[in-house]
Amino acid sequence: MKNDTVIKVENVSKKYSRELKHTMLYGIQDISKNAVGLSSCPERLRGGEFWALDDVSFEIKRGETIGIIGANGSGKSTLLKLLNGIFMPDKGRIEIKGRVGALIEVGAGFHPMLTGRENIYINGSILGMSKKEIDKKFDEIVDFANIGDFIDSPVKHYSSGMYVRLGFAVAVHSEPDILLIDEVLAVGDMAFQLKCMEKIKEMQDRGVSIVFVSHNLDSVVGVCQYALCLKAGQVKAIGNSSSVVSEYRTMILNKDMTTKDLLNLKRTPYKLVEITAIQLQGSNGEEKDVLETGGKLILRISFFAHKRIQKPVFGVAIYKSDGTYIYACNTKYDNIEVPDLEDEGFITYTIPRLNLLSGTYLLTVGILEEKISAFYDLWEKACQFNVVTHLHDHGMFYLEHLWDVQNIKN
Amino acid sequence: MDNIGHKTVYEPDRFIKMGSFASWKEMAISLFQSRELIWRLFVRDFSAKYRQSLLGILWALLNPIITVGIFVFLNRAGILNIGETSVPYPVFALIGLSIYGIFATGLSVCSNSIIGAGSMVVKINFPKISLVIASMGQSVVDFLVRLALVIILFIIYGIAPQWTFLIFPFTVLPLVLLTLGLGLILSLLAGVFRDVIHLVSFFTTLFLFMMPVLYPAPPAGIFAALNAWNPLSHLIVGCRDILISGSFSDSHSFLWASAFSIFLFLISWRIFFISESRIAERV
Repeated sequence: MKNDTVIKVENVSKKYSRELKHTMLYGIQDISKNAVGLSSCPERLRGGEFWALDDVSFEIKRGETIGIIGANGSGKSTLLKLLNGIFMPDKGRIEIKGRVGALIEVGAGFHPMLTGRENIYINGSILGMSKKEIDKKFDEIVDFANIGDFIDSPVKHYSSGMYVRLGFAVAVHSEPDILLIDEVLAVGDMAFQLKCMEKIKEMQDRGVSIVFVSHNLDSVVGVCQYALCLKAGQVKAIGNSSSVVSEYRTMILNKDMTTKDLLNLKRTPYKLVEITAIQLQGSNGEEKDVLETGGKLILRISFFAHKRIQKPVFGVAIYKSDGTYIYACNTKYDNIEVPDLEDEGFITYTIPRLNLLSGTYLLTVGILEEKISAFYDLWEKACQFNVVTHLHDHGMFYLEHLWDVQNIKN
Repeated sequence: MDNIGHKTVYEPDRFIKMGSFASWKEMAISLFQSRELIWRLFVRDFSAKYRQSLLGILWALLNPIITVGIFVFLNRAGILNIGETSVPYPVFALIGLSIYGIFATGLSVCSNSIIGAGSMVVKINFPKISLVIASMGQSVVDFLVRLALVIILFIIYGIAPQWTFLIFPFTVLPLVLLTLGLGLILSLLAGVFRDVIHLVSFFTTLFLFMMPVLYPAPPAGIFAALNAWNPLSHLIVGCRDILISGSFSDSHSFLWASAFSIFLFLISWRIFFISESRIAERV
């Protein structure tokens, strides 16, 4: 049972049209053709149509979890809707084994006028549960959603958090074999998100296969064994989640670079130039990983060039520990002419006044080729540092500011 | 619904590839499995509709009472000449209007059912036909409430129905199927063209006056000719005959109209089933 393939996606494509006019016209055409038993020739593009998903293939076995990442509009939600059978593919074939539970929009189908109790029964039956099943799971659902006495109030009086909690609770208790999750957990508070993650882990252990769409790359790495990266409807990378996520991160850093370039670079038997060390220094040049807000940050990047490298570009990116991308820059953007690299050496990157407030931060350092379209070497989140502050200010940054209270007249 | 080990395949032109027997079978299974969902959706619509209302279900009575009242007034005042009816005119008109309401209300709620369901159509996969059937339930409930009023009028006027009125539930079935058949297609079309909603309300008003709902079927003239070809008209007359006299005045026409309704329903059901995923893309 363990090695059963539960989702098999073979060369699946899906087309959309850009204009509403076409949507209506083609819709009527296709329906009329199908109604009289003719094929609508879905594999051909008509004017104004484009492939929202283009030749996507992958497989998931029982108990496996795959994360789907990509920019907005890259086709993630479309893929999820195809897996759920809401849309039909225009090319290719999807095979699903078992009951599918979908969290594409939590609480879709909730009626605002009806109570939580009534909505549990309605939502449960929409998700394919029988009354008996819902009766059996009812207390568990209410308990998980943690909405207490509100269960008999109309859901329009619920907070957005309660709404999401109830929706999630119903969906996970419908005992699916396959769970599709679309970026829905971001709504709940921290405690609920943790609870959801726990529930997801529990389901994984039970052998439930999960397809997880998220913009939170850290949670993709945390939850999923595999990941699939989409760009403009095409699969850009697929495989082990941490490697796909790091490829995706470099893609974001260098919009022009294709994964092919990246893979080619990675596959070169040796690197033309490599970063040999990254060292973080305080104001006095001593090595340290705790810095103070307003203090100086000095980053020393050591390299070794196997060959003479002309016009290299150095880049640095800063992330918050939760993966939030804070800042990146490189020598090209700053119009710094870097001399050709030969043998070993180092450069320094200095932030004279570090405006970050207290927290843990990560640094990514890379050496890129002249057009910043590919990396010679990249150290992803290779260096961690903490910032402490004597300020009471909250947030991520200290922003320079002024208050003016002169105009208050007594 | 134990689907473990059950394999689902999604591919283009799935129903054409399946062959007609397999796809009809799948339609039937899917409809059968939706019965609980249909009931839930019906209860949902019903309780949500009347939750914040004082008169609640009694609103179903207000509209026909006013319409019948106006016609009784016009008739008595001599502005309109309705002609002879077999039972007192208020009873005749209310029965006609109640039966016509199954069609008019039904068509209106059915055509709204898919676009009115909001994001769930696009975000959850479930048999969308249950939305249409569940909303049809609303018009049946309205009819039952009006029927109660008809029975009260029967008692007031001292009319004793024939025992054959017991077959009424069967005679009303073709009308329900005809409404559902049209409703299924219109609910799909409304997903693409919102104009459908306006057209439905226009035509249901037009039909009310064109067909022998508030007046007995005219023996000759342009309406008689039109109505002879209109299955809806035969179904309404047939249902009213059964309630009032217990027998059909024109059983032949009622039969072909019923056969037409069943045929239309089957065709519409089929088209709906094939196209529901396309509509989800366009709602």
